Amino acid sequence: MSELDNKVELDWDALEVGETFDKFEYTLTQDMIDTYRQGVMDPEASFPTISHKVDVRQYNSKYTDAGSVNARCAFHCYNPPRAGKRLIVTAWIADKYLRRGKNYIVTEAISVDEDGRLIDRVITHELKQPSEVGKKWGG
Amino acid sequence: MGRVIRNYEEGDKITPLTKELTQEAINLFEGSAGNTGPSQFTDEHAARETLGTEGTVASGRMSLTFAIEMMRRHFGPEVFNHTGSVDLRFLRPVRPGDTITFSGTVTGTSREANGSRVAVDIEVKNQRGDTTGVGQGSAIVPNAFLPADEG
Repeated sequence: MSELDNKVELDWDALEVGETFDKFEYTLTQDMIDTYRQGVMDPEASFPTISHKVDVRQYNSKYTDAGSVNARCAFHCYNPPRAGKRLIVTAWIADKYLRRGKNYIVTEAISVDEDGRLIDRVITHELKQPSEVGKKWGG
Repeated sequence: MGRVIRNYEEGDKITPLTKELTQEAINLFEGSAGNTGPSQFTDEHAARETLGTEGTVASGRMSLTFAIEMMRRHFGPEVFNHTGSVDLRFLRPVRPGDTITFSGTVTGTSREANGSRVAVDIEVKNQRGDTTGVGQGSAIVPNAFLPADEG
């Protein structure tokens, strides 16, 4: 059975605000940090956790949908993560709303490292009709 | 970097930050988290299928990262990396080949228990002058980082 077979097709109306996903854990390696810093062209970039998109990772593991476009994202810095440390992420559905006939889902996640240090908090508003980008802004 | 002691006033301009987006940079950003499969960020076909665009786009999280860098440079990592935040809305796609410039203006300060919260309006424009993002950021500057008469 493929991973896709285990996923639930998103029913936006039925999606419950407050749904909290299983914790997600990963180890941030120095290689991840170095690659991230190269990509963002900033040797001092301190929150490589941003590229891990941890607020939507568990959502994407559970649900299948038409894709999404990031409409808004907020990030709160508490302590830069350290290489080699395991990070524990708690993510949940923070909100959903309809605007101009389009469906949005708001996900939120908090990352804490294995020593209990609070790392960051991220809140993302995703438009669940990604083809709107091509319609509005063309090719 | 040593401790930066300065005051903050409404109307202060944040030093702008300019970034030239390349597909290589986008690939590195996505790859840094192990996202190596085709996506709207890294693969033209996937972008066409998902977004209906001719080419790839950069994740909004890259713009978020750049806004954070601009703020960190202004407030210093000792402050921003522990008390900073950015909230950015993405108004237009940013594509490989775009040059985007982030700017910020201090909109106000307010007292907090151990320092001063400095609020900043953030704007992002591409090389054509189109606004690709807007938002707000803030940092709580501890008293020790403020001039004595403001501490």
